[in-house]
Amino acid sequence: MRWPSLAPSLWIGFTAALLCATYAFLYVPIVHVALASVSTNTMWPYPPRWSTAAYTALIHNRVYLEALMNSAIIGLATAVLSTAFATAAIFGLMRYPGRHRGKLLLLYLAPLFVADIVLGISTMVFTNLFMGIGGNLAVAILANAVRCFTYAFLIIAVQLYRYDWRLNDAAMVFGATPVQAFREVTLPLAAPALFSASLSTFILSFNNLEISFYLLGATPTLPAVAWGTLRYGIRPELFAVTTLINLAVILGFAAILISLKVGRHRRLTQAEEVRGLT
Amino acid sequence: MYIEIDGISKTYGRRVKALDDINMAIDKHEFISLLGPSGSGKTTLLRIIAGLETPSAGRVLIDGKDVTGQPPHQRGVAMVFQEFLLFPHRTVVENLSFPLRMLHLERGEIARRVGWALEILSLTGLENRYPRELSGGQQQRVALGRGLVASPKLLLLDEPLANLDRELRQEMEIEIRRYQKELGIPFIYVTHNQEEALSMSDRIAVMSMGDVEDFAERTIVYNHPKTPFIARFVGRSNAFHGRVRSVSSTAMVVDCNGIAVQASNVGARPGDEVDLYIKNEKISLLRGTAAGENAPACTVRDVILRGNFTEYLLAAANGQMLVAGLPAGAETFLPGEDVTAVWDEAAVDAFVRRLQ
Repeated sequence: MRWPSLAPSLWIGFTAALLCATYAFLYVPIVHVALASVSTNTMWPYPPRWSTAAYTALIHNRVYLEALMNSAIIGLATAVLSTAFATAAIFGLMRYPGRHRGKLLLLYLAPLFVADIVLGISTMVFTNLFMGIGGNLAVAILANAVRCFTYAFLIIAVQLYRYDWRLNDAAMVFGATPVQAFREVTLPLAAPALFSASLSTFILSFNNLEISFYLLGATPTLPAVAWGTLRYGIRPELFAVTTLINLAVILGFAAILISLKVGRHRRLTQAEEVRGLT
Repeated sequence: MYIEIDGISKTYGRRVKALDDINMAIDKHEFISLLGPSGSGKTTLLRIIAGLETPSAGRVLIDGKDVTGQPPHQRGVAMVFQEFLLFPHRTVVENLSFPLRMLHLERGEIARRVGWALEILSLTGLENRYPRELSGGQQQRVALGRGLVASPKLLLLDEPLANLDRELRQEMEIEIRRYQKELGIPFIYVTHNQEEALSMSDRIAVMSMGDVEDFAERTIVYNHPKTPFIARFVGRSNAFHGRVRSVSSTAMVVDCNGIAVQASNVGARPGDEVDLYIKNEKISLLRGTAAGENAPACTVRDVILRGNFTEYLLAAANGQMLVAGLPAGAETFLPGEDVTAVWDEAAVDAFVRRLQ
C-alpha cells in the first residue's frame, strides 16, 4: 500500500495526535478516579479540592476492606489452582498424546462456552442442593478455577504447542529425572506462558461478579460491593479502593521491569564467572 | 562383551513390528554403525539402548549389568541427537555443564571438564553464546561436547551429521572417529548414509524392516554382502536378474535377458531365478566389442566426472543401462563409443530367489 502523499511533518503530527488520543482514551478514566479519590467532591473533582476523606472512610469501612481481602484471596487461589491444573493437563496431552487427545481437548475447553452466570447458578445448585454445602470462599474459588482453567489452558497451550518435548528426552539421557527435566528445561521455557496465565486468571477471578455472587451469599467481594453501590449510591470509598488497586498494578509492573533488568545483568556476570573459571 | 543386546523386540499395537529379535554384542573399543533406510528400526533400537523407549521383549546389558528396567538417567549413557536438541535457554557453557550438574560434581571439577570439552571441540570464545547464535557446525560440536563431557559408558549418535553440509560432514566424520579412539568408549552411530557408516565404523549392522540383515566388519559388509538388500543398499551397484542356464562345481552362468553373467555357484540349479549385483567400480571397459560371459557389448551414453573417479553410463545391446566407475587416470572413452564392459567372476554377488 502506498501512503497518501502528504507532507512528512503533517504525517508525524497526525500519528502523534492519534497516539495521544489512544492513551487519553485508556488513561483518562483512571486518572479521573484517582483525582476523585483525593477530592472532596468525588462526583466532579474539577478543579480538585484536596481531601483524604475517602481514604479515611475506607480504613474505617470494614465492608470494603473485607471485600478487597476476599477478592484477593479468590484471585490468588484461583490463579494458582487453574494455572497448575492447566499446566498438568497440557503436559499430559502434549507429552503423552494418545488416541483420545482431541476429545480430551474439547472437554477441557467446554467450560469456555458456559456463561459465567450459568456456571455460578449451576455450581450453587450442585453444592447447595445436592451436597448441602452453603456458599463459602472455597466453593467460589473452585467455581472460578473451573472457568479460569480454560483460559489458562489456552494461553499455556499456545506456547507449549511449539515446544519440542524431545528436549526432555535429551535432559533425561544426560542424567535428569523426569521431574528435573521438567524443572530445568520445560519450566523455564514455559515461564512466560505460566506468568501470563496466572496474571490473566488472577484478574479474571479478582474482578468476577457473576460466579462469586451466587456462591458467597453474604460474603462481600469487591465487584459485588461495587455493584451494590450502584443501587445504594456510589460512595467515596469505592474511588479510594480502585485507586489503591491501580497503584498496586503500576507498582507491580515497575517491579517486574526492574527484576527483568537485574536478572539479565546477573546472568551476564554469572557467565563471566564461568568463563573466568575455565 | 561390554554391551549386549539380547533378543530385543518392539511391537506397536498388535501388528506393527518395529524390531524383531535383535541380538548384538559390542566390545568396549568399537565404533558401531546401525545403517538402514528410514523405518528400518535403527533409531528405535538406539532409543531402547538409551532407555527412552521400552522394548516389548529382550534385555539390554551395559558393562555386564542388565539396564532394561532402568530409566535413562540411571544408565550413564549419552546421546547426540540429529536436531542437536541443545537447551535453547542455556548458553554453550550451561549446555555443556548440564550432564555434570546432574551428577552433582563440585564446581571446580565441572569447570575443568567444561574447559576440556571447549578445548577439544574448539569452542573457545563461544562460551556465552546461546544455541540460536551458533552456526550448524558449532551447534553440532556443542551437542557432541555435551555427549562426551560426563565420560559416559557409551555414546549414542542419532544421525548427528544429517543437518550439516557435505564438506563439514566429512571433517566431522574424521573428528568423531578420533574422539572414539581416544576416549575408548563404544560409539553406536545411527545413519542412513552408507558413506558415513563406511568411513567411521569398525563394524556395521545393516538394518531393514526391523531386522539386522548382517552385523559384520565394514569391509565384509561392502565387499561380501550377505543379503540382496545389503548388495542394493551398500555401495553403488548394477543389478541383474535372470535364470541359471548352466552350473559347474564352482561356477554358474546366468542368462540375464541376453547378457550372460558368470558367477560363483551359490547353490543354484539350472532354471533357478537369481539376482546379481556388481559394484560400479568393479566393472572395467575395453575398447571394441568382445563376446562371452561377463562381457556385454555396450555404447557409452554419457560420462560423469566425479573428480577422483569417472562414471560411464552405458547402454547394453538389450537396452539395460549399466554404470562403470573407473579411477582417475584410467583410459578414457567418449560418448557414442562402442565398448565392452568386463568384470571378474568374483565381483558378482549372486542370490538365489527363494520362494516367499
